[in-house]
This record gives sequence, C-alpha cells and structure tokens, in this order.
Amino acid sequence: MRLLRFGKLGLALAAACAASAPLQADDFAVPPYEGAYQPQGEDERGLWMMADEDERLLRDSRLVITDEALNEYVRGVLCRTIGEDRCGSVRLYILRVPYFNASMAPNGTMRVYSGLLLRVRNEAELASVLGHEFAHFELRHTLWGFKRARTGSDLVAWTTLLGAMAASYGGATSSSGADIQTSVLGTIYRYKRDHERAADLLGFGYLANAGYRASAAADVWRGVMNESDRSAEIRGRRTNRYDSVAFFASHPTDLERADTLSYFANRVQGGEREGSDAYREAMAPWREEFLKDQLMLGDFGASDFLIERLAGEQWSPDLLYARAELYRGRGNPRDLVASADFYRDALKQDPDLANAYRGLGLALLRTGNRTAGSEAIKIYLDRVPNAEDAGMLRMMMEQ
Amino acid sequence: MNITTRMRWFALGTLAAVAATQPLAAHKLREAGVTVEVAKSDLTVTPSVAWNRLNPRTGKDNETWTLDGEELNDVTFYGQVEEGKTLLLEVDKRNRPLPRFSDTMLLTDIPPMLETTYRIARDLRLFEITGMEPAELSGHKAIRFTYEFVGPDEVRRKGEADAAIVDGALYMMTYEAPQIFFFDQSLEKYRQLRDSMALG
Repeated sequence: MRLLRFGKLGLALAAACAASAPLQADDFAVPPYEGAYQPQGEDERGLWMMADEDERLLRDSRLVITDEALNEYVRGVLCRTIGEDRCGSVRLYILRVPYFNASMAPNGTMRVYSGLLLRVRNEAELASVLGHEFAHFELRHTLWGFKRARTGSDLVAWTTLLGAMAASYGGATSSSGADIQTSVLGTIYRYKRDHERAADLLGFGYLANAGYRASAAADVWRGVMNESDRSAEIRGRRTNRYDSVAFFASHPTDLERADTLSYFANRVQGGEREGSDAYREAMAPWREEFLKDQLMLGDFGASDFLIERLAGEQWSPDLLYARAELYRGRGNPRDLVASADFYRDALKQDPDLANAYRGLGLALLRTGNRTAGSEAIKIYLDRVPNAEDAGMLRMMMEQ
Repeated sequence: MNITTRMRWFALGTLAAVAATQPLAAHKLREAGVTVEVAKSDLTVTPSVAWNRLNPRTGKDNETWTLDGEELNDVTFYGQVEEGKTLLLEVDKRNRPLPRFSDTMLLTDIPPMLETTYRIARDLRLFEITGMEPAELSGHKAIRFTYEFVGPDEVRRKGEADAAIVDGALYMMTYEAPQIFFFDQSLEKYRQLRDSMALG
C-alpha cells in the first residue's frame, strides 16, 4: 500500500515532466510517515545486510568528520526538512571528500561529502539536496533499481544463450542479441533517471513543507552546471551538453533538473526561510579546510567559480585569501600579479591574516621582486615565529 | 582435436605468453654497495642494503624502490623533471590533468605540487604537509618536507621527501610507508640512500 502510494507519486512526476498535466499544490504533499520500516522479502533483506556491512566500515573510516557541532548542525537541517519522525531513521556521516555529492543507502545511512557543504550557500540549498537523498530512501529506490537491473541482466543472459543456440542452427545473427542487450541496458538507465525525477519531486515536497525558499533547489543545479562549464572552459575543452541525456546516464541532465525544480517552485507556496547567516556561522570553523581541499584538486576553473559564488557581492578576507592561493598555485606571471593584489585586498580587510603575508611574499619572490617579497615574509615570521616552514622561508629570503 | 588436447595447447600457449612478458615486468635487485644511476637521469645512489627496483614505472622520469614490497616502504626517485612535465603518468588527462613542473617554481611550491599530483593520481582524500625545512641535496639547496596521507585502502601513511631545483629541472626523492611499524623501521635506510645521492 505504502509503495503503491509512492508509485502514484512517481506517476504524478512523470506526468509533470511531460508537462502535459500541470501539477497541483496537493502533488507536493508529503505522505504521512508510517513508522520505522523493516526490510521485506529476500532481496530487500539482502540489500540491507550489505548496507549494514558498508556502514560498519564507514563508521571507522578516517574520512568521517567527527566534529559534534558540525554533525549536529547538518542533522538539524535534515530533521527540520523531513521532520523529526523520519529523521530518526537516518544515521548521518559527513565525509572529508571535496566533491559535490551526498547519498543514501537502503538501511538509512546518509553520506554527505564536505564538497557539498562547501558548495551550498544556505540551509535552503542544503535542505534541497538532503531531502532529495532521503526521498530515495523513502521510495525504496535501491531495491527497485536492483530488481530492474537483475531482470534486465537475466533477460540479456537468456537472449545471449538463445541467440548462440539459434546461430549454431544458422537462424540468427549475433547483432540481434546485441540490439536486445543495448535496449535492455537503456531501459535500466532510463529507470534510474525516473527514480531521480521522483526523488526530486518528493524532496521538493519536504523542502516546501519545511518552509524553506522553494527556488533554492534549482539554484543548486545551476551552480553545478556553471562550475562544470568554467572548469571545462579553463581546460580548453568543450562544455557539457545539458539539452540531451546520455544513454548510460543514471541521472537526468542538470539543466532538466534545474528547469523542473524551477517549474515546481512556481507551483508551490514554499516558505521564505533561507538560513544563510546560520549556515555561514556553522561552516566557519571548517570553510578554510574545505577550501584548501578544493584548491588542491588542481581544478582552477571550478575553484575560481566556487570562490566567486560563495563571495557573491561581498568578498570576505578568507575568500580573497583562498583566491590568492589559487592564482599563486597556477603560477602564470599574470596569476602571480593578480594573486599579490588579492593578498593585499585580504590584508586591507583583516590585517591580522598572517598567512596572507606568507603568500604575498612567495608570490612576489616568484615574480623576482625579492625586496618586497622578503619584507612580506619577514612580517609573517615576526607574527608566526614558530611556523612549521619558518626555517625554509628564512633560507629563501637569504637566497 | 579433442577437448583435452585443445586444453593442453591452451595451457602451453598461456605459459609461453607469461614467459615472454616476464622480463618486461620483472623487478630488479639493487645490490648493497653498488652505485647505480636512477630514474634515467644523472642521479646516482649507493645503497647500504639491497633494495628492489619496482616495475613498471609510475612516471616517465621516476623509479621506485622498496625493501619489503610495494606501498610498505617505497622510495621514489624523480630525476631531471623538466618544464611542463608531470611527476606521475596521467590518469585522466582530459578531465583531471596532473600539475606540471615549471622552472619558475620556488622550492616551497614543490610540496603542494606533490599533494595535488597524489590527490588526482592516487585518488587521495586526506593529505597533510606536516613540516618543511631547508636541506642540501648533493650540494644543492633543497627543501625537506614531511607529510601524511590516507589512501583508498584507509591506511595512514607518512612521507619524507627532499627536493632540489638544479638548472631549471626538479630532482626529488620521496620515502613513504605506513605510519604503523614500517615508516620508522626503514627511515634510516632511506636517509642513508638520500645521503649517498650524487648529481652529475
């Protein structure tokens, strides 16, 4: 019954995506929570068992961030989004992985990457992603995906066998088997994309229900597209196409998601809650570390976009410093000049930012400006005499 | 030809193929007290104990030695890495290109270059530079730095490296081993190798 209801939800979504039947506000109503769920049947019990084992390994992983304040905050946003009763079925793990991602296992294990926390700018954006992931869990997508993939692979195996038998009697060509295989695989991946769309719809229901600004969901995907475009542009390769979906894509295109979520946002009341200040405050102890992880990926375009997006119209000293480090890291002559300017701008706003003197000094030394470079490094060493690289920097000043 | 005969020919063919490829993939013993050139460059070292040189190489300008086995205690030599070259072989040049050495780099730019290279090529999530100090490598001014990282196998490893830029090219030696037991066990043997290094 429960699954039947969600099946109807999926159908409502499919209809919405086809844009043939306009969505009503009721379509976003979050179904009543039916209490703690236990896996049913052999397949689901097996999937839960595997997820339990994964969770045991995950719990001890060195990547897990154990900072209580950060965990409590992210969990608080999740619970506000999906409601306290549903929240009780989730164990949340924040992982130090600098990519945009979050996932949900069938047994209620939610993984949130630090790269996601760095990319979203407020609670509403975070809530949209967490709500989407929880929707996969509530809709039992892993189970249905597994069943569909198994049925598909069974069909491919039978087709291959029958095709081989027929060929040995001169009846069929191998290409007909390959055609069926391609078609079956296409169905599996299309099915996964439909899951993503259903999770977008239910996730959107949570977001709107919790009083968050509804258009935040589309902002997240626009940010992802723009970041990917900037990364590609700087690397001199073509940007992704967002108007058509690849055959093997497990997700709809980012453009489709942004457009669909905007379409939803225009049809549901939602709220005004943004949570920008609270989010910034909660991330403050970690932002420098997360930015450092991002810079060390060596993706200049993506990092530059990300820093700009975080800054918005207000450049804070830590973002100016991060941008300066990014430019100094790429190290073209023009980058070093720009980097020195960013360090100076950061120091204007926060003269106590000792690391900015270090960076400024190194940027100037690399451009051959030894006197000014040494002076900046000297200020850094005066401020942080026991710095771990103090000896090295002194040697470089003397060279 | 019956099935048994066919299987015999298949087994013989497999053995021949393995035998033919063996010399290419073989590791090589580096004997104690014998001075050898490393990393296809004018770097030489004289080990005090026997080491194993691993094949295949992980980069065009490097070679890796080990005492007990790959990733248990690795010493990697980078010889004459020139402008525009990477430290390791590209893993996904189109989407995640490795950083390239530039002859305008300062010595303090080398540790971050190694970090980014490792994060991409070895798929590391956690990497921390824990210290850096001035050093000498075969009479040239150098940087000595230490670091820690966790790879996909979740083992915490420690590293110590020495790097110098000579005539616009990078020369570097790194030593890496699991933090538990292995790092301390072979550290002195690495340092002996480093101190025996001669350039040109």
